[in-house]
Amino acid sequence: MGYAAARGGLNAINSAEYLLRTLRDFDPSELISLDQLTGRLRLLVDRTMGEAGLWAPQLTALAIRQSEGDITEAVHLLRSYKSTLPRLATAIPVHTDEMKLLRRVVPAFREPGGPQILGRSTDYSARMLDVKELSIANSSVRQDSNKVSTSQRPQVTRLMNTLRDMNLLVDRRNDADPEPFDITRMPARPPAPRSARLSTMARAETGALVNQWYRNILGPDGYLHEVTLGEVRHGELPIRVVHPHTGGAVTIGHFRISEVEAIEDLNGIDEDRTKFDVGIGICFGHNERKAIAMANLDIACHRDNGKTSLEQSILMTTDGLDSAGFLEHLKLPHYVTFRSMMERKIAMRKLADVDHSIKGKQ
Amino acid sequence: MTTLVSQFIAQEELTQTVLDEESKREIRRALLHAVCIPGYQVPFGSREMPVARGWGSGGLQITLAVIGENDTVKVIDQGDDEGVNAVNLRRLVTSSTGCEETTEVCEATVIQSRHRIPEDVLTDEHILVLQVPVPEPLRGIERDMRELSRMHAESDYSRMWVSLYEDKVRNGVITQTTGYPCLVNERYVIATTPIPRWDIPRLHNAEFLTLFGAGREKRVYAIPPHTIVEPLTFEDIPFEIEQNEGTQCRLCGSNTSFLVQSPSQEDNWACSDTAWCRARRTQ
Repeated sequence: MGYAAARGGLNAINSAEYLLRTLRDFDPSELISLDQLTGRLRLLVDRTMGEAGLWAPQLTALAIRQSEGDITEAVHLLRSYKSTLPRLATAIPVHTDEMKLLRRVVPAFREPGGPQILGRSTDYSARMLDVKELSIANSSVRQDSNKVSTSQRPQVTRLMNTLRDMNLLVDRRNDADPEPFDITRMPARPPAPRSARLSTMARAETGALVNQWYRNILGPDGYLHEVTLGEVRHGELPIRVVHPHTGGAVTIGHFRISEVEAIEDLNGIDEDRTKFDVGIGICFGHNERKAIAMANLDIACHRDNGKTSLEQSILMTTDGLDSAGFLEHLKLPHYVTFRSMMERKIAMRKLADVDHSIKGKQ
Repeated sequence: MTTLVSQFIAQEELTQTVLDEESKREIRRALLHAVCIPGYQVPFGSREMPVARGWGSGGLQITLAVIGENDTVKVIDQGDDEGVNAVNLRRLVTSSTGCEETTEVCEATVIQSRHRIPEDVLTDEHILVLQVPVPEPLRGIERDMRELSRMHAESDYSRMWVSLYEDKVRNGVITQTTGYPCLVNERYVIATTPIPRWDIPRLHNAEFLTLFGAGREKRVYAIPPHTIVEPLTFEDIPFEIEQNEGTQCRLCGSNTSFLVQSPSQEDNWACSDTAWCRARRTQ
């Protein structure tokens, strides 16, 4: 029956799943270990954790392997896994000054308070495909006898504080300490508190956020002031919770973040032109691109103060699962809506034909 | 670490959890809110489901929140129980709740649907859960969400009327196809998912409870039983359902049901509600 071809049913789904699993699981190449993913595709794992809003390297590696490297799919697996878990505790806030620095760049000053640490970065490596690597055996592990020191805890003054000491920073601090807006429990819509915007961007799809930034630089619908970066950091922080028996703080693990301070040269007519202001970007893992876009959008949104729809764009259009899911739903059957559309087309045409024949008789 | 994680996952697989119990409670609270204010879009903390956003994640969360193991679920997509997405959602609901499944309306207590209301009579025994891709009926005339919430709050639907008037003047007919905007309880205008206009009269003074779930946009809304639901139209321009002249289902011969087309077939109409069509043929 011709009509049935468009229908699938359980058999079709099961067959698709069988194909998906067997072609993936029985690929002739060696299975990628989770350690290989976390070790050798570090940035992929970091980015995925950031977009999932979940710090879990092993689970993330598993999700990436299961999704054959489709980040959106891996993020989906992680987030829906999170939906099955009860919330057991809330972490105690930790100040990013505690960060064990793996990298710190301050583009605003040659000699900021504390060192510039280039760390592990492709920024200045020549982007040349190393074709010699083609001949390296897949399994060989290369040993490096020179131990590299990768983390440092030097005395560092963050640039925001340096500017504040010089009386060059708008002071937006106040005594109010509201609970942060929890975007996983309440939908954020404009106008929303800053914490809602920040957590939305921290979880946003990296490409979406970079695009949001760039379309406001060159696109038709916004003007985003290019900032000077104060801090670009990558490092490690402790995660602490309240011990259920002692009531004291206890460190239960560590996680890495990228953190960016974006220094804004205030130039609006209603702004204090003698001062700078600052935007903040923080996300899980090593993902500077995302943190920079976030920091610049944070201050841009603050300055915009609801004049344009920038906040709506940030809150509503940067989540990877929202956009990808809705885009892909176009693949679903639309027999009913399409039938209804055709019916209206025909109704309009009938009416036009009647009008035409009346005019013809006149 | 790895063993801990795998043990945990193995345990998870046994219970087949899709949504934790606290989240279900939270969704039920939002639904009560929605029932109390018919047509009002209630924000809720939509969770990520094992199906993608835009694929029924909102409907699925509602179904999981209201269903119990003594319930019987029917899931349709475009009126079809065997549509791939319907099958997928149904197996998620049954495997995670242990409820029964059916294709018969009379056996079902919860009916989750995308784009259709079943042709069979629904009673006060039924909860209809509709999957909503875009819950905002005014999106076509206003993009700014702050303005949209003002318009709903003040019942300011004037621009909606103007757009319908302009549509009629320009095109001779009101060209709105599915998801026709309706005024609920003489207060809120809602997007009627994209169900066809054919189904709209069924929502008015219905015996059953209709729950609308928009997972991606994180909104639920409801039409409680015995609620006034009026499609927006003018006194002298009657609301039009899809015209069915000269067509009938090639399988059951019906011309009193919503039919969909299959252009490859010569006699190319068939009931969109496949269970209803099958029942007619076996009578």
